[in-house]
Amino acid sequence: MAMTGGMAAPLPMSNHTRERVTVAKLTLEHFYSTLLTQHEEREMRQKKLEKVMDEEGLPDEEKSMRRSLHARKETEFLRLKRTRLGLDDFESLKVIGRGAFGEVRLVQKKDTGHIYAMKILRKADMLEKEQVAHIRAERDILVEADGAWVVKMFYSFQDKRNLYLIMEFLPGGDMMTLLMKKDTLSEEATQFYIAETVLAIDSIHQLGFIHRDIKPDNLLLDSRGHVKLSDFGLCTGLKKAHRTEFYRNLTHNPPSDFSETWKKNRRQLAYSTVGTPDYIAPEVFLQTGYNKLCDWWSLGVIMYEMLIGYPPFCSETPQETYRKVMNWRETLTFPPEVPISERAKEMILRYCTDAENRIGSGSVDEIKSNPFFESVDWEHIRERPAAISIDIKSIDDTSNFDDFPESDILQPVANVTEPDFKSKDWVFLNYTYKRFEGLTQRGTIPTYMKAGKA
Amino acid sequence: KRKFEPGTQRFELHKKAQASLNAGLDLKQAVQLPHGEDLNDWVAVHVVDFFNRINLIYGTISDSCTDQTCPVMSGGPRYEYRWQDEHKYKKPTALPAPKYMSLLMDWIEVQINNEHIFPTNIGTPFPKTFMQVAKKILSRLFRVFVHVYIHHFDRVSHMGAEAHVNTCYKHFFYFVTEFNLIDQKELEPLSQWFILLAVTVEAVPG
Ligand SMILES: Nc1ncnc2c1ncn2[C@@H]1O[C@H](COP(=O)(O)OP(=O)(O)OP(=O)(O)O)[C@@H](O)[C@H]1O
Repeated sequence: MAMTGGMAAPLPMSNHTRERVTVAKLTLEHFYSTLLTQHEEREMRQKKLEKVMDEEGLPDEEKSMRRSLHARKETEFLRLKRTRLGLDDFESLKVIGRGAFGEVRLVQKKDTGHIYAMKILRKADMLEKEQVAHIRAERDILVEADGAWVVKMFYSFQDKRNLYLIMEFLPGGDMMTLLMKKDTLSEEATQFYIAETVLAIDSIHQLGFIHRDIKPDNLLLDSRGHVKLSDFGLCTGLKKAHRTEFYRNLTHNPPSDFSETWKKNRRQLAYSTVGTPDYIAPEVFLQTGYNKLCDWWSLGVIMYEMLIGYPPFCSETPQETYRKVMNWRETLTFPPEVPISERAKEMILRYCTDAENRIGSGSVDEIKSNPFFESVDWEHIRERPAAISIDIKSIDDTSNFDDFPESDILQPVANVTEPDFKSKDWVFLNYTYKRFEGLTQRGTIPTYMKAGKA
Repeated sequence: KRKFEPGTQRFELHKKAQASLNAGLDLKQAVQLPHGEDLNDWVAVHVVDFFNRINLIYGTISDSCTDQTCPVMSGGPRYEYRWQDEHKYKKPTALPAPKYMSLLMDWIEVQINNEHIFPTNIGTPFPKTFMQVAKKILSRLFRVFVHVYIHHFDRVSHMGAEAHVNTCYKHFFYFVTEFNLIDQKELEPLSQWFILLAVTVEAVPG
């Protein structure tokens, strides 16, 4: 790509210019690769429309009506591409979650009144903690992953301080909160949640992604109580940018805020940058490599926690947990005071075992046909009622979320002196994504929500 | 198809012109109005995108484009561009290139952010004058390409950005010719580049 010509005399270039050149080149490269995808996607949408209409055997008149309806949607999308979205376009209603690099808020888009969850990530923190590869991964999977099992992302944008991900709001809260409320779940409920999570994990595996950080905090519940996967912060794709050794120095970095009992610290740990090692497969800690099977291990740990009330390797400190995970052959035991069925125990032990012998190495069918899942209707599980139904009263009902204090993450900084991280801004380049479907489907807010506020 | 003898200046130029981002994308096809699309909306989204990218490209060479190097905005000895607007420069005025560029970019920004010219609300129609404004913006943007190619291409080479600029230009060229948005006369200064790029496209499909 770089050409060497006789006429290019080396001109002095300042650092500032060099940076600008990098930005420009990256932006152009990105633009033209995106242009290709968008072009293809548009053609796909048109083809799909024609195919569906043929299958339905529509009369010509109806067909041309549908075509013009489709064309109008495409035109709307073009308009929205020219619309600049920013923080101003959303009203922040409430803090509903916190993560290591920012927080999640319930927001309302001012013009449409639609409700979303807005994940805010502080750029400065992320760069410090070298989270850039992770956030890239998160963007990539949220954008690529489609379908029922993954939290949908609609828009993203950035300003000097933060990145913003506008996602669908899942009013059911997360599994961590549910488990803290309920202590244990029945075998029936466990079967339901684990079965749905199997399908969710399989759907991202089919896209070529390994999540690597499946834990209750990342299992969200939609308005009907069904599972969706969120948080691809650590999700590792097969692309190089996704690979970072997050846990490498875990043993040398004891977080200072860790003491007392597990339950009390569970939440703290969820907010720390170290994260909880409870759910991570032993081979992920080793430098010897791992594959998608590591996600099935995590599922086994979650299943254990659902039935027993706490995860099998929980300890006072992450170091101790880490040690227990590595010695799972000795430490993975079932407390006699909490009896569970043989089938459930067998299932857990099929997940939490060394990767070579772990269930799922053939295909996901191996998991689906395990006796623990007997009577699960895999085809229709998402359409059927959930194990625990969700009770929501209004559009902005956050009763399934804990209370979080207001933070100053959105406060504009007075007198913006270009901070240090500005020079690294190009990493976040093109962090602007608009989803075709989200922009044009006006029905994204379920009707029960509209009733609350009108 | 044309052939260029190695070692000649034309050959060097040809080699440089050939560099383009291999995006596996047929730009000629990509600019065509999709089935059922509104022409105004299609043009509007392209104008905004081209403005952003061309602005970025000029930004990379802007510190080697000064009042001293380019006291008059031009595209080689044969083409001089004069600025005119409704404010300070009522009559076409010869200006140093940096001044001209900054007026040009500011003017375009005002146009594309004007909701009455470039409506973003769903359903709001474009004004009757929209195509006129779009054409004017595109011919002014074209002058940025002219100036960059003719006066600052050494800098572009030095940055290793020939492929980027060429791809953008190729895209721009196909777009404006597809919809006849710039006078043939205006396009003349880069006709040489156009031939080179056209050859490239034939030789390397996709
Ligand atoms: N789309 C959503 N709808 C509703 N609540 C959400 C949504 N996304 C996240 N939350 C809530 O916010 C919490 C934190 O979100 P998330 O886990 O994505 O943050 P994070 O910064 O990635 O944290 P970490 O990386 O430490 O896991 C979740 O556990 C959940 O309670």
